[in-house]
Amino acid sequence: MVSDSKQVLYGLYNDEEDLKGAIRAANAAHLDIMDVYTPFPVHGLDPILGLKESRLHYLGFIYGTIGCLFAFLTMTWIFTSDWPIVFGGKPYWSIPAFIPITFELTVLFAAWGMTLTFYTICGLWPGVKAQSLDNRITDDKFCIAFDVTAASDNAVDGLKQFFGTTQAAEVNIKTM
Amino acid sequence: MNLNTQFVFEAKQKRVLLGGMALGVICLVLSFLNDDEFHTRFWTNYLHNAVYFTGIAFMSMFFLAAQITAFAGWNTVIKRIWEAMSQFMWVGIILMGVLAIGVWGHLHHLYHWNTPGITDPNSPIYDKILAGKKGFLNPTFYTVSVVGFLALWYYWAFKLRQASVDQDTKETPSFDYYKKQRKWAASFLPIGGFLSTVFLWESVMAVDPHWYSTMFAWYATASLWLASISLTTMIIIYLKSLGYMEYVNRSHLHDVGKFLFGISVFWTYLWFDQFMLIWYANNGEETIYFKERMEHYPILFWGNLLINFVLPFFILMRNDTKRKFGTMFFVALFVFVGHWWDFFYMIKPGARIAAFEAKEMAEGKKPGAEVAPLSEAAPKEAAPATEAHSAETATHTEAAHATESAAHSAEAHTAESATHAEADHATAEDHKAVPATAEATHEEGAHGAHAEQGEHAEHGAHAEHGPDKSFKLGYTIPGLEELGVFIGFLSLFLFFFFAQLQRVSLVPMKDPYLEESLHHDTGALVEGEDDGHGDAHHH
Repeated sequence: MVSDSKQVLYGLYNDEEDLKGAIRAANAAHLDIMDVYTPFPVHGLDPILGLKESRLHYLGFIYGTIGCLFAFLTMTWIFTSDWPIVFGGKPYWSIPAFIPITFELTVLFAAWGMTLTFYTICGLWPGVKAQSLDNRITDDKFCIAFDVTAASDNAVDGLKQFFGTTQAAEVNIKTM
Repeated sequence: MNLNTQFVFEAKQKRVLLGGMALGVICLVLSFLNDDEFHTRFWTNYLHNAVYFTGIAFMSMFFLAAQITAFAGWNTVIKRIWEAMSQFMWVGIILMGVLAIGVWGHLHHLYHWNTPGITDPNSPIYDKILAGKKGFLNPTFYTVSVVGFLALWYYWAFKLRQASVDQDTKETPSFDYYKKQRKWAASFLPIGGFLSTVFLWESVMAVDPHWYSTMFAWYATASLWLASISLTTMIIIYLKSLGYMEYVNRSHLHDVGKFLFGISVFWTYLWFDQFMLIWYANNGEETIYFKERMEHYPILFWGNLLINFVLPFFILMRNDTKRKFGTMFFVALFVFVGHWWDFFYMIKPGARIAAFEAKEMAEGKKPGAEVAPLSEAAPKEAAPATEAHSAETATHTEAAHATESAAHSAEAHTAESATHAEADHATAEDHKAVPATAEATHEEGAHGAHAEQGEHAEHGAHAEHGPDKSFKLGYTIPGLEELGVFIGFLSLFLFFFFAQLQRVSLVPMKDPYLEESLHHDTGALVEGEDDGHGDAHHH
């Protein structure tokens, strides 16, 4: 898999405010950031990275609607034509009795659908090898990463200089 | 941005609110004059609005106390609104006190349990069920739980507010006044939580004294909670439109919106829980409550779900709608009126029956129409036979109404009355299902048919001397008088609220969570959102 490997130059910051300052500086210098990693969600990071609102919740609504219809129509079919049984003297098509299950399946479909979609988008599936630039970015470090696979030495030096001026605590290069 | 601003209650606002109050008084007088002999419309309008606005004050206090106890920091910049709203309980004591005086002096017939002699076994109007509830439904306990509990809550609200006001000027480096607030807030939670159930049982649920629901207080409290949140939303947006509270940003509104959305779903959950448990158990004395409302008050019944569930659920589901001032105001207005509508639905149909019963008793008749079957004079052991007998009689008298095939009816006639006795469990719904079942024998089918005819007969009886179920403005739907009284009480509430609000700075300057609240950011990313209204990206 040599052809897939990437050279990643990354800098680690000690504080999220330093990180945000560095991203603003990178934007001003028109540097092409590959990704930013933080140990926890940092408020206000998305707009300065230029990230758009996720469309995942639209799918969530669709999955929920499917679950809702699936539950309601299945119960309707079972209790009116497939296997009609009288429960507690109620009519076969007892809408109030269907509501709890309809609700549960709506939530179930929305939750599973969104989770699986999210995993698929992120390339996470069972047996996948965890790729981490540095384990400390899951603990207390904030990271900006640049893809330098095709970059010239000059450009790499420029990026290192950028990390220096924005007070990165550490700068490393890693092949992934 | 000057944080230390004080609200100024201007003469123009006072004039508008006094005008609103005058409208309310006029409408109360109109509904008093143009009314039945018990002034039912007047008293129900009064009870409805008194409970609604007192309840809003209570829930504002409860919500504030819950947030202080939970170390919530986002809300510090708007918590003075809830503090001021909670002080309305002082007015609530007077409003509810009038109802308590009405109970003692028999000035109104809102509460059927308060009829003289109804719990006396020797009285012709003796009601066994209400006699069993005598320990709870009596004037003394009414006064204690409706006025007394309110006074107790007000004491806590006053103390919490006082600690917050004193904090502005006297706060110590160790946050003594903040800690004081925490003590009053945390101790209020069990007091408010437990006693509010009793308050609502006594003041609202007891309008239908034969009926009870263990879900009722939860459901009514959720309704008041939403009323409080929606009114808060509208007040925030109004104050911002006047130029106050520029530090309240979209993220604060977003969080208020989340509560408006979430508690609306919670309310629906409780509403449905109450409905489904009663529907499933199919216990006559419980089911009658919903049967009455679904058949004769369909606009109230379905409108309630439409305004209070469908509308906020679908509008506030999206992220961006909770962050728009215009959309939030629109939804909050609907939800605010919607829960007023909800309390209208809880009170009016029951009070209409109570008034009918009062009228019947005034004419010397024994109330029968809406009293649950258990209270009938028939001895217990003979009850099933009696019912079967009445069902059979019904079949004869109401033969023309028989909707089932003649064969079924004929079999029903010949069947033994002992077998018929089992039919008393069957409802009209049963009847639709039973003949369709493959296993059902003809005899069982006959039971179904028989039972339904029995029910028809009962209905016939109701129609003869039962309460009038036809459309009536002010009961079937709120009329103009109701709206006028609503505006009147709302004006009273707002007048008191603004007077309280202007007493101190709009921001608790010494609150330890002030910085967190000023920089509150939900992190929601909404495209095309302007930075106006002080959006939180100022770091």
